Amino acid sequence: MPSSHTEPRTGGPAGRAGGVIHDIGYRPYAGPRGGHGAIARSLYLTGVRNVFGLGRSGKSKILPFALLALNVLPAVIIVGVVTFIGLSSLPLAYPEYAATTTILLGTFAAAQGPILFSRDLRHGTISLYLARPLSATAYALARWGALATGIFAFVMAPILVMYLGALLAQMDAGEQTTDFLAATLVSLLLAGMLASVSGLFSAIALRRGFAVVGTIGTILFGYGVVAVIQGISLEQDQERVGEIAGLFHPMTLYAGLVNVLTDADNAITPPTGAAMEVLYVVVSVLLALGGLGLLLLRYRRLATR
Amino acid sequence: MATLHPVDRAADRRSGVPAIATQGLTKDYGSVLALDSLDVTVGTGVTGLVGANGAGKSTLIKILLGLLDPTAGSAQVLGHDIATEGAEIRARVGYMPEHECLPPDVSASDFVVHMAQMSGLPHAAARERAADVLRHVGLAEERYRPMGGYSTGMKQRAKLAQALAHDPRLVLLDEPTNGLDPASRDDMLELVRRIGHDFGIAVLVTSHLLGELERVSDHVVVLDGGRLLRASATTDFLDTTGTLLVEVLGGATERDLLGRALHDAGFPSRPRGNVVAVEPPAPGDTRNVHDMIRDTAVDLGLGLVRIQPDHHRIEDIFREEVAGAVQPH
Repeated sequence: MPSSHTEPRTGGPAGRAGGVIHDIGYRPYAGPRGGHGAIARSLYLTGVRNVFGLGRSGKSKILPFALLALNVLPAVIIVGVVTFIGLSSLPLAYPEYAATTTILLGTFAAAQGPILFSRDLRHGTISLYLARPLSATAYALARWGALATGIFAFVMAPILVMYLGALLAQMDAGEQTTDFLAATLVSLLLAGMLASVSGLFSAIALRRGFAVVGTIGTILFGYGVVAVIQGISLEQDQERVGEIAGLFHPMTLYAGLVNVLTDADNAITPPTGAAMEVLYVVVSVLLALGGLGLLLLRYRRLATR
Repeated sequence: MATLHPVDRAADRRSGVPAIATQGLTKDYGSVLALDSLDVTVGTGVTGLVGANGAGKSTLIKILLGLLDPTAGSAQVLGHDIATEGAEIRARVGYMPEHECLPPDVSASDFVVHMAQMSGLPHAAARERAADVLRHVGLAEERYRPMGGYSTGMKQRAKLAQALAHDPRLVLLDEPTNGLDPASRDDMLELVRRIGHDFGIAVLVTSHLLGELERVSDHVVVLDGGRLLRASATTDFLDTTGTLLVEVLGGATERDLLGRALHDAGFPSRPRGNVVAVEPPAPGDTRNVHDMIRDTAVDLGLGLVRIQPDHHRIEDIFREEVAGAVQPH
């Protein structure tokens, strides 16, 4: 520093002229302080950013964005082919997209859940959150919401690309919009279910690896098991068994929901009969909310430990 | 039980509402009685909370934050009741835990901004506060690097910064000097002193090392086995005892020669290390002790090196009181 430290402190703005950093001492904060709602919103928004690696180190952005790129790529190709050939309808219905990219979706949910849940528990940061005004319940709710939003955005990104492509290709706008909105509804339920599964594993397994393996195992391996049961039951003309088996996994629940709530269909043994259809919707909601409930319980326990 | 009440409450009365007040606070974990009917008052400035590991320090902090319900008794933090106003307390209190609490993949700058927001500060204000407190704790350029690569000293500074981010009225610092080398320890203690005195934030700082707190704290609260052993101003702990320590040239022979002569002259004296500890004369005795020591040394032909008043150290008191207390183990 060119100016000497003995330079007299002149005070006021003129004192800064020499580039000397004066210790202005401690400044108390007298500005506004938000209530619980504002704090929860801030935690939620930070969580959504963190799911995609934003606000974290550079390399933590690689996985979520690589998965997102892989997830959107087929949609871009579909749109390209559709416009090039000039098809009158999309080769793949909106809600069927998530079912065909289950591996990417499962990996995303499994890998990013621990970022919102395991990380705070593993590194002890949870005690700093608990020492702040927000309750443990509100904390868990905001975290779950952020994960569900991240997964929802992941599911919807390619669907949005296809929808915009369909509109550009001059397909029937009214029909496409109806299908798109129906896909949005089932995607919301799917995101809620996956956030609960991934969040719960991440909040129990402190090591990220265990949480990832647990979630991937449940989402991918479990899906395979249920799909095999459904396939066999279809072969044996015992569709009812397959329908019931489908209630035990988020992806087969999703396939059933798609059948019930949209025009599309990719379920092996779709729910038949009004009672079974209602049951699929109820179980999906219960899985999402039940998982969330267990999460809240887990954090309430943590807070009073 | 007959609780040991804090000796000095004058400072607390001066500031009106005490930072912390507990009445008969008890926490029974079933197998362990972590806090045993604790009555303690903490005022402004720096208060040291001293006790061995397991003395109940962390339990007390958790109860004060409203995170743990006491089995019995009550407490108020900044005038707010812990049982009903936990959120209000947590909005006004900063907490620096003893254990690791920093995510490794986030920079100190981003983390402190986030934590300030978690106390309700708007984003712009949080950024400004984070820059301020990181400067105060002495984190310079490294504040933009992920905290996983920090040294212990830097981590402790980042932990302290997040506790100050929202301009709390009171900070609870759990073992802030843990794991620090001597130079960083001195820096941290100086920071603690500045927070309590220059920043005007009441500080409750815990340590299992007694010696380091006497340098920075105005009051010291000593816990042992969940009970209040003693609470008083640090100066009371460190008062002169009235005893004089006298050193003469030579070895043990010369020391004992002087000691015996002074003892015969009516001043109870004991050897302590390489000096003679001369106790004050009886109340009716009007003789000047300093003169007597000088004259006795001259008479014996001994070379007088120094005469100095003896001070208490917190350790001495702790040792005495613990020795007197019932030790279950």
